[in-house]
Amino acid sequence: MKVFRSVLWTAPALFVLAAPSFLDRGTLNDLWSLAFAVTLASAWNLLGGFAGQVSLGYSAFLGIGAYTTVLLSLRGFDPFLTLPLGAIIAAIFSVAIGLPAFRLRGPYFTIATIGVGEAVRVCAASVSFTGGSSGIRMPAGSFDFNRNYLSMVILAILTVALAAYVKRSAFGRALAAIKQDIDAAEALGVNSTRFKLAAHALSAAVVAVAGSLYAINFQYIAPGSVFDFQLSLSIVLMPIIGGVGSVVGPVLGALIVSTLQIKLLSMPVLRDSFLFIYGGLLIFVMLYEPKGLVGIGRRLWALGAATFRSKGGIVDAA
Amino acid sequence: MHASRSWRVLFQAAFLLLFVTISARAQDSEIRIGAVLPLTGKESKIGGAFKAATELAVKEVNDAGGVDVHGRKMKIDLRLLDDTSDAAKSAQLVEQLIVQQKVHAVIGGYGSQLVQAQSVVPERYGIPFISGGAGASAIYGRSKWVFGTLSPVENLAQTQMEFLTDLVKTGKLKAPLKISLLRENTEHGKDFEKGVSDFVRAHPKQYSIVLDESFELYAPDFKPLLGRVEAARGDIFMCDAHLEDYIAMHRTYTQMGLYHQMVTYGARGADEAGRKGLGAATDYIFASGWWSELLPYPQVKAFSAKWKAATGNAPQWYHACAYETVRALVTALHKAGSLEPEAIRNALASIELKDSILPGGVLKFSKTGEAMLPFVVTQNKPEGKLDLVWPKADRTGDPVAPIPR
Amino acid sequence: MQQFVSVVFNSLLAAGLYATMAYGLAVIYGVMRIINLAHAGVMMLGAYVTFALFTRFSLDPFLGLVVVAPLFFVFGVVLYRLFGKRMAGSGTAPSIESLLLLFGVWLVLQNAAYVVWTGDTQSILTSYTMKSIKIAGVRVGVVSVFVFLASLISLVFLNVLLTRTYLGKAIRAVTQNRDAARLSGVNADRISAIAFGLGTAFAGIAGAMFSTLMAFTPDFGRSFLLKAFCIIVLGGMESVTGVATGALVLALLENGLAAYTTVPTSLQDAVSFALLFVALVALPRGLPGLLARFERRSTR
Repeated sequence: MKVFRSVLWTAPALFVLAAPSFLDRGTLNDLWSLAFAVTLASAWNLLGGFAGQVSLGYSAFLGIGAYTTVLLSLRGFDPFLTLPLGAIIAAIFSVAIGLPAFRLRGPYFTIATIGVGEAVRVCAASVSFTGGSSGIRMPAGSFDFNRNYLSMVILAILTVALAAYVKRSAFGRALAAIKQDIDAAEALGVNSTRFKLAAHALSAAVVAVAGSLYAINFQYIAPGSVFDFQLSLSIVLMPIIGGVGSVVGPVLGALIVSTLQIKLLSMPVLRDSFLFIYGGLLIFVMLYEPKGLVGIGRRLWALGAATFRSKGGIVDAA
Repeated sequence: MHASRSWRVLFQAAFLLLFVTISARAQDSEIRIGAVLPLTGKESKIGGAFKAATELAVKEVNDAGGVDVHGRKMKIDLRLLDDTSDAAKSAQLVEQLIVQQKVHAVIGGYGSQLVQAQSVVPERYGIPFISGGAGASAIYGRSKWVFGTLSPVENLAQTQMEFLTDLVKTGKLKAPLKISLLRENTEHGKDFEKGVSDFVRAHPKQYSIVLDESFELYAPDFKPLLGRVEAARGDIFMCDAHLEDYIAMHRTYTQMGLYHQMVTYGARGADEAGRKGLGAATDYIFASGWWSELLPYPQVKAFSAKWKAATGNAPQWYHACAYETVRALVTALHKAGSLEPEAIRNALASIELKDSILPGGVLKFSKTGEAMLPFVVTQNKPEGKLDLVWPKADRTGDPVAPIPR
Repeated sequence: MQQFVSVVFNSLLAAGLYATMAYGLAVIYGVMRIINLAHAGVMMLGAYVTFALFTRFSLDPFLGLVVVAPLFFVFGVVLYRLFGKRMAGSGTAPSIESLLLLFGVWLVLQNAAYVVWTGDTQSILTSYTMKSIKIAGVRVGVVSVFVFLASLISLVFLNVLLTRTYLGKAIRAVTQNRDAARLSGVNADRISAIAFGLGTAFAGIAGAMFSTLMAFTPDFGRSFLLKAFCIIVLGGMESVTGVATGALVLALLENGLAAYTTVPTSLQDAVSFALLFVALVALPRGLPGLLARFERRSTR
């Protein structure tokens, strides 16, 4: 079982890493976007899925990473060297917000994050050193698609691996305890605030790195594109649909949302039905299976196993 | 055994060579032109209009047999993709068109942000890029491969100032004039503000800016902002806004009983939706734009007739600009006499379209790749009438200034 | 002095509409502990329905409220019957699932509006839209006055409902303590349905009134949602007067900032968001909670 699982994970990873040598540019672009989505969804999941704290303000961290990279690159730094700096700034910012915000429970926390995300966007659009609402460009220079592609894919793989590692660790167990019943966890000695802050900082850092890679790949960023509320929403949508709290859920969700977008575009009839489909999916998932596709998958699996057992199967029912 | 094998190899190689040469020739029997437009999403309304106009222009060329490139008539193979109004996707699609579909030139999209994102790509591969849908000056001047048929928004503001100055010269308005300047917090708004403030700085004795504010899109209540306008007591009110904000703001303006000698909302004012939402309050508002059906050139009349025959509607400025963008590219292809990117690019940089439907009648690109053309100024007249009041030579009616109380 | 009067007056007018908009959110939260993200979509729908009534039947938008209010009440009850059972949070903790489910509903409503009315900008122009009158030395649009009056009537009606009827008492009981109310014989499910209907009706009314003031597209509503959150966080969700207070404070802040400071209006939104954040963290029960705390101390 374990062997099967690891093959299930490494095969696509290897395929995606080797892709530039045999896939065409259009498909590689789509894979880049997919890797980007997977990274964001998995990173968000660290706080949102594992610890159950739903934040709708993650575009702030994406923007911090992107702007740090562009602003420093314009001053002569090598773009890839700016990645850790963007991550650190985002992490610090996440702690600054988290300290007051984590005192709030459930949806109140969510509302607070919406407020922060929007405030950051408005500020970025109004301040001149960030280029204001017209955005800024990377310095003209080396654009290496293969390098960009590989770095995004590697980031995605590392993020998923990180999620898997966290889930299995003591840190992950503490987060799960917080998600299930924060008071009980506290009573058992878990310093919930510290763990929430840690998860927030970690995911913020990853999202910031993704933002930096975004800036390197597209070479032009503006508050409208990186600090967008819609972006924050889709970051949340993917793990929800796929299944929060699991490692594979965000990946599945990212896959579905990305492919949906591509498929919808090729069918003129459905082209304007984006929102119907996203909304409908969301409603369906929340009504019938809040654990997302993974939950549905598990239920089907359990159903299958139960029928298998009751039909006799390997073990005789005698 | 070895001999027959090497004969086989030779035969295969020859066949391959023949195939390659044939397909290479086959590749170049048509001109591949790529275009990335927002057909769905936020900008879909005008994006769709651009698509219609671009396709009409290409059809016209193909129906006439194609473009004459160095004696050979080649048809245009237009590859148009939808970027869903997403900047990242827009850039990716342009790249795909260049790298995968090997287009000879790219027609840019609509919307400053989208075109900005697209415009970083042509430099990487050395493919000519021309856009009829973005007037933000930050896009141009950075790459020799990027061209634009829309004049900068700063010039839009400058044209309005020139129009006002002419009104002073003909005695309709009296200098010095105080200006209350508002703008939406976008690229478009920033350029508009720059155009006005640059002009004011160059003419300090005639103009001064007493209020300079930006506002967020879709504000629910403009009273606080207009309260500041009221307190500033300006003579002229200039505001750059989106359609919804224009309607909401001007309603509040009228309800508050504000008055200025001249009022403009940038490129807004002549919009149908604006008339519907504001009624008689739109009277005497002046607006400037990249094109107007009222331009008294024969080629404009011909274009309008063509458009009405094809679609049943009157053409808007975006139809005209998209159409003319294709014409410019086709002219450049003809002038270049080849499909080599460098040749096309140099041709674009040096063409001079003498029967252009755009204001001024002549289309050519400046050193930054952007066309520097005059803007038109229109003024709403009572009973839903519209007059072209600038350029002076093309006037269809006299401007009314100051606005009657 | 005149400026002060005008600031207060304009804030009052704006607050009426804000309060109506916020109350729709507050009643649903109070009774069901759900944060209704579909609120913005319902407001948008309210605007479009009013627009449809105006263009198709020439029905004055304010008279149209008589149609809109009950129509949306029914719509709200229907929505509750479709989704409600699943949505009610357990006990006092609001659920994330309900938040996201209603967000899904919002997306669907938006798309429906795009399909029916297209993304074109629409507006309602009546014979009196552009007229204005002078009250207390301040010139205001006639429409703003009507909007204020309509909001006032709705809120008074609501207050009477809540304080003088059995239904109202039941709603307040459930808001305070769901389980205790049920023990006292209140049918919490029926109350929840009614509360959802009320909240939706108010959102529809607010949307209808916005449609008389501004031009709109199916995207409309998003910026108001955040303002509504601000208000119910500031004013607390437990009473009509609380919400009205929150609305007034926000309106005063907006008008005051514009009139007395030079803070650029583009940053005003950031100020509201910052206020929201501070209020959430420092004032868990809103301003009334803060006042209650002071009251308690003074009676010692």
